[in-house]
Amino acid sequence: MFEAKFNKTNDWGIPGIAFAVCRHAESGKLFFGSSDFKVHEFDPSAEKPEPIAFEGDGHQSYVTTVALIGNTLISGGYDGRLIWWNTAERKAVRTQDAHAKWIRNIVVSADGKLLASVADDMTCKLWDAQTGELQQTFSDHVPITEHGYPSMLYAVAISMDGKLLASADKQGYIIVRNIESGETLATLHAPIMYTWDPRARRHSIGGIRSLAFSADGSQIAAGGIGTIGNIDHLGGNARVEVFDWKSAERLHELEDSKYKGLVERLEFHPNGKTLLTAGGDNGGFVTIYDLESKKIAHQEQAPMHVHGHVLDEWKSLYTVGHGKIAAWTIEG
Amino acid sequence: MNQLRNIIAPVGRRRFLGSAAASSAIAANMTVLDLLQNPVMADEVKRQGKRVILLWLAGGASQFETWDPKPGRPTGGPFRPIDTNVSGIQISELLPKMAANMQDTAIIRSLNTKVADHGTGAAILETGRIPEPGVQFPDLGAICARELARADSKVPDYVSMYAATEGRRHGYSGFLGSRYAPIMLTDKMVPRNLTRLEAVSDVDHVQRNDLRRLLAQRFERGRGHSSSVTSHNDAYERVRGIMASEKLFDIEQESQAMRDKYGPTQFGQQALVARRLCEAGVPFVKVARAWWDSHGQNFETHRELCADLDHVMDALLNDLKERGLLEHTLVITLGEFGRTPNINASLGRDHFANAWSCSLSGCGIKGGTVYGKTDEDGHAVVDGEAKAGDLFATIFKALAIDWETEYHLGARPIPITDFGCSPIDAVLA
Repeated sequence: MFEAKFNKTNDWGIPGIAFAVCRHAESGKLFFGSSDFKVHEFDPSAEKPEPIAFEGDGHQSYVTTVALIGNTLISGGYDGRLIWWNTAERKAVRTQDAHAKWIRNIVVSADGKLLASVADDMTCKLWDAQTGELQQTFSDHVPITEHGYPSMLYAVAISMDGKLLASADKQGYIIVRNIESGETLATLHAPIMYTWDPRARRHSIGGIRSLAFSADGSQIAAGGIGTIGNIDHLGGNARVEVFDWKSAERLHELEDSKYKGLVERLEFHPNGKTLLTAGGDNGGFVTIYDLESKKIAHQEQAPMHVHGHVLDEWKSLYTVGHGKIAAWTIEG
Repeated sequence: MNQLRNIIAPVGRRRFLGSAAASSAIAANMTVLDLLQNPVMADEVKRQGKRVILLWLAGGASQFETWDPKPGRPTGGPFRPIDTNVSGIQISELLPKMAANMQDTAIIRSLNTKVADHGTGAAILETGRIPEPGVQFPDLGAICARELARADSKVPDYVSMYAATEGRRHGYSGFLGSRYAPIMLTDKMVPRNLTRLEAVSDVDHVQRNDLRRLLAQRFERGRGHSSSVTSHNDAYERVRGIMASEKLFDIEQESQAMRDKYGPTQFGQQALVARRLCEAGVPFVKVARAWWDSHGQNFETHRELCADLDHVMDALLNDLKERGLLEHTLVITLGEFGRTPNINASLGRDHFANAWSCSLSGCGIKGGTVYGKTDEDGHAVVDGEAKAGDLFATIFKALAIDWETEYHLGARPIPITDFGCSPIDAVLA
């Protein structure tokens, strides 16, 4: 059993909703994307930390995802744009009209060379993270749900060795690909993540909202929400499924009924046996699962619905979300 | 005189006689033109062929994600506004097809109906007034059925489709009686029990109806005048005609291309049925599309449901126009309220009735117009505040129904438009 515990050490109110965060390793500064259409810098070590907005021609809708390569920040938004920013000057250096619809998530490979993006145009795109050049487009997710409505492509992950690319959609389909060849290696399905209500409300909710490879690339974890009775609210159990993607074996099905809602973020511990999850409904949570015992190793209520997180080598954690940024320490 | 008879018949003999008695100006050699000089008869003639399709957005759609976007504001959400084909009007990017088809549609952005709970909110928007204990007001469908239906109509006067179970409400004719109550479609596309039982031959069916009529008349005579008995008998007298309308509910009668135009969703299929019914002379059809109650994940919900609304509404308006029906058919999108400016922690919007929107298209409407204004964050109406009664008066006037008509419940006059309300002329043609 993973023995570490974590404690919230501070939280700060911010205007609007922060959807994603990353952290500069040397300076410790945070950069987050927000519902005010802007990217902000935030220094938690400052005496009175305040968000400082990046200037210039930015996004025209919610900024939903950010990634950091050295001193270059890349953001994606519901305007379909990817923007490269110089963090020292807080100014845009490149803008790419990347997708026809909302960009839901981006991820950068561990070597900083590749950038993957997913959007509601139901494409997953691979970019040269340095030049912004488009390298590959994958259009293999079904754009219309089986009930005739637009699907959504929420989650993306790249394996640590940079060889595997996975994306996941509203109906719970996960596609794993070989980056070099573009070949589809596996299609997995987590149908419980998608709730269609055919009788009372006649629409759907859910989807796989977060995705992560284990350090060795053999497993993939998907986060979302379990079956929901009343889809007006996020009243379903927070849900995680872990697959051995090569065999398509579902290794773990984890549901939490104490803190309900969407699992917005996932991250494997390097040991491959521990999984950090964060998300929420009207409130929020941070939960660490021990995969060997299939039990919650530790759990804390977050002061807000958590949309984004960033870990510092499993020693400290920052979460961002609805109106707040919170800092946590991890001990053990 | 034959020419006169041709006009009298459709407008209803009783109405004509009432009008004639009230006016000594109707001469023996009256021409059609003379007839139209009579204000009552002119209104009657104008009403001929008028239809209503109400697209009821049950649960409450967000005005921000449909007709009243607030770009760049903290309340505005992530969706951007897009230009429409009418200069100066923008709507949410979730309605791209309607954005290209706004020339026949008016938007009212200034509804303030105050009550933001589902039950009472729906009752207010169904009847145009706050419910009153002791009086069962007829809903919009029943009033339109009463005012627009032909007395000799063989088709239903009021059909209501509400397939989802959440928030399902049966339409009601209130004190107008069961003659104007809706045929309700819930789990099937065709009304229940519309088909004659195989065990009953057609001759038997006719004879049974004759016997029922005989007994009913005897029953009625024995009890003096009773509005409920009369209403009951009126409804039975129409059974044969309504039974014959079964095919109107069958979209298999349409080409595959036409069904494709409306799309595969249930809402699309029901809208196609609504067009078929209106084309056949049904004066009021309600298609309820539930459930917009997006307390959590408002933007995901609206991405899904607005795509449906946009496609179906565009297909319906185009189809009606191509058939020459749009100028006679009023298409309304309306729900019980809108949604809050504030975005909650579940990325949802809650109930909100103080500043929200609806749309009116087609018959009697000045297309390509926007009426009313909300403040920059959509918290309040700042111009042209409209109550439910104002909306009802507008609908009545668009349909050439005298919005100042009064019904009588015993000795009590009850206006069809709530007290203090009047039409919004700015959206009327």
